[in-house]
Amino acid sequence: MTRPAGTAEQDAAPRFAVGDRLSPRARRVVLSYLILLLIYGGCVAVSREFLSWGTMRLQLVQATFIGLIAIGETFAILIGQIDLSVPWTITLSAILGTNLAALHGQQWIAFAVVIAVGVVVGLLNTFGVFILRVHSLIWTLSVNLMLQGVALIYTNAVAPTTHIPALARFLALGNVGGMPMAFLVWAFFAALAILALGRLAFGRHVYAIGNRQAAALLSGVRLGQVHAVVFILSALGAAFVGLMLSGYSSQAYLGMGNDYLLPPIAAVVIGGTRLSGGDGGYVGSIAGALTVVLLQAMLITLNVSEGARQVIFGAILLALAFLFLKRGR
Amino acid sequence: MKPPEPARRSRRFAFEKHAGPISCALGLIVIIGLYAARQPMILSPFGLASLANASVALALAAVGQTAVLLTAGLDLSIGAEITLINCFAATTMGASGLGIAWVVAASLLLGLAMGFLNGVVVAYGRVEPLIATFCTAFIFSGAALIVLPRPGGSIPDGFAAALTGSWGPLPCSIVLLAGAVILVWAPVFNSRLGRYIVAVGDDAASARLSGLPVRRIELASYMLAGLFAAVAALFLAAETTSGDPGIGNIYTLNSLAASVLGGVALSGGRGTVIGPILGSFVLAIILNALGVFNVSAFWQDFIEGLILMVVLGIGGLRVLRAGSWLALLRQ
Repeated sequence: MTRPAGTAEQDAAPRFAVGDRLSPRARRVVLSYLILLLIYGGCVAVSREFLSWGTMRLQLVQATFIGLIAIGETFAILIGQIDLSVPWTITLSAILGTNLAALHGQQWIAFAVVIAVGVVVGLLNTFGVFILRVHSLIWTLSVNLMLQGVALIYTNAVAPTTHIPALARFLALGNVGGMPMAFLVWAFFAALAILALGRLAFGRHVYAIGNRQAAALLSGVRLGQVHAVVFILSALGAAFVGLMLSGYSSQAYLGMGNDYLLPPIAAVVIGGTRLSGGDGGYVGSIAGALTVVLLQAMLITLNVSEGARQVIFGAILLALAFLFLKRGR
Repeated sequence: MKPPEPARRSRRFAFEKHAGPISCALGLIVIIGLYAARQPMILSPFGLASLANASVALALAAVGQTAVLLTAGLDLSIGAEITLINCFAATTMGASGLGIAWVVAASLLLGLAMGFLNGVVVAYGRVEPLIATFCTAFIFSGAALIVLPRPGGSIPDGFAAALTGSWGPLPCSIVLLAGAVILVWAPVFNSRLGRYIVAVGDDAASARLSGLPVRRIELASYMLAGLFAAVAALFLAAETTSGDPGIGNIYTLNSLAASVLGGVALSGGRGTVIGPILGSFVLAIILNALGVFNVSAFWQDFIEGLILMVVLGIGGLRVLRAGSWLALLRQ
């Protein structure tokens, strides 16, 4: 995505002026957590239920699904791309994984399918976006449509099973020491993602590509490798969430991933990562995922109609995007 | 002594500019030929009218999308705009006492208003077009659900027949498309505004330095997209004689794909109007032909996705001509 020249200088200027105070990136992360607090306050104002651990536990599990997808989405957005093939990667991996596992009576097959689907979809996205240089927005949407077709063809031949691997159920519904297992899984992968972005060479390469691809290439960054890793991670995250979702609702069904296209991207944007790439991180995305989930829960509690819910969700998201730009530029 | 002679360069440039439309036109001939070999009836006036009816809504959406793409913008809300106007027309045209003409005028105004909202957010709010139109798409499709929660509503027969019938050998839908292009697109793009739109898409920074009102130009392009979306929605309402809160979904991706297929650059500043129209006809007729070639409904999404990927991939093959990665990244 090309940016108008000139914004770079405007971005750089305050960095010197602020001096040893917070960097713009840190300020955006703080802002995203302030937004989370604000939305949580709104939730509590709407219903006392949100003060109870039982309700919040439920929200944490929901946020896990969005947060896990947001890992790959954060990486993809940081290199200046986007992954919109998430919904049907979720559905396909859930249906294929649970069916094959039930057929052979082996749990590990479901996880093998998750990895296979993730790698294949990730490589397919890399092929279109990096090798053929199609805009990731339309390429990954087309891949999404194609995956939808694959899922339809498969379910036409084989009915989805309701026999879900016990391990998938445990990952989504289990409890370890009072904490939901799903949340622990999220915390683990979130720590890995933050570590990878902050401490590993891979993270530096991701930021380098997002800032200026040509400069990254000249500095010896293997563009293809990084693109492939990012898209595979994104697809793997979606495929894994597919399996967890099938454990969560004890079934895999067509369209189960349809609600997961916008929320992870919204989480990344609320978390202060720039859609133009090269600026941001996963710490903010965590707050973003929680914000999105609480916002949805609040609108459901308020008992507004599906249409009105969409209008409010879109408007609030737009307002948040607005807020970040006002500060950023 | 300079390697690229001006004349040769400009000729090559002219070819690059028209490569999309030309390949689409050739593709269209091949596809209609294959179709006719299987189903000769398609070359009858009735058959051609049905092909046109299946393609015109997408063509209108793609033309609207192109107006935005030319400024290096993007309208992901075009499908939702179509949905909302379609639902609005279906609930007001048949039931309420308003005349058809009033509903049509209100629909066009609604399209302009939604484009205005997009334009204000993108041009004056400086929100990325991608996220801005993603958000407004939510707002528009939510509003459509409020207006018409379930498929329904009605469209007067007279209005439906007027848009989907034939005037002698000429399908009305083609007349509508040509009318929209001649009455809206041609005047805009033959005026200063049109040249400004291309200039902004080519290089927004230098356009601003040259004193062009970049924001107003971007705003105008989104309003243009909204207007074309409104025409597409009215045509869809006439074609289906009802409203459907899910009708517009496919038009977002397909309008982008048709534009790219027709040679419009997503990076802005390059494109024609005939390219997206031909691209839409190619896409829509391929999808329409799947039924004729006995493709099971279960395979349709798969094949549609695959076709889009192949089409987009072919557009990306020019990459193979680039000398090095560095040359490629500079583009």
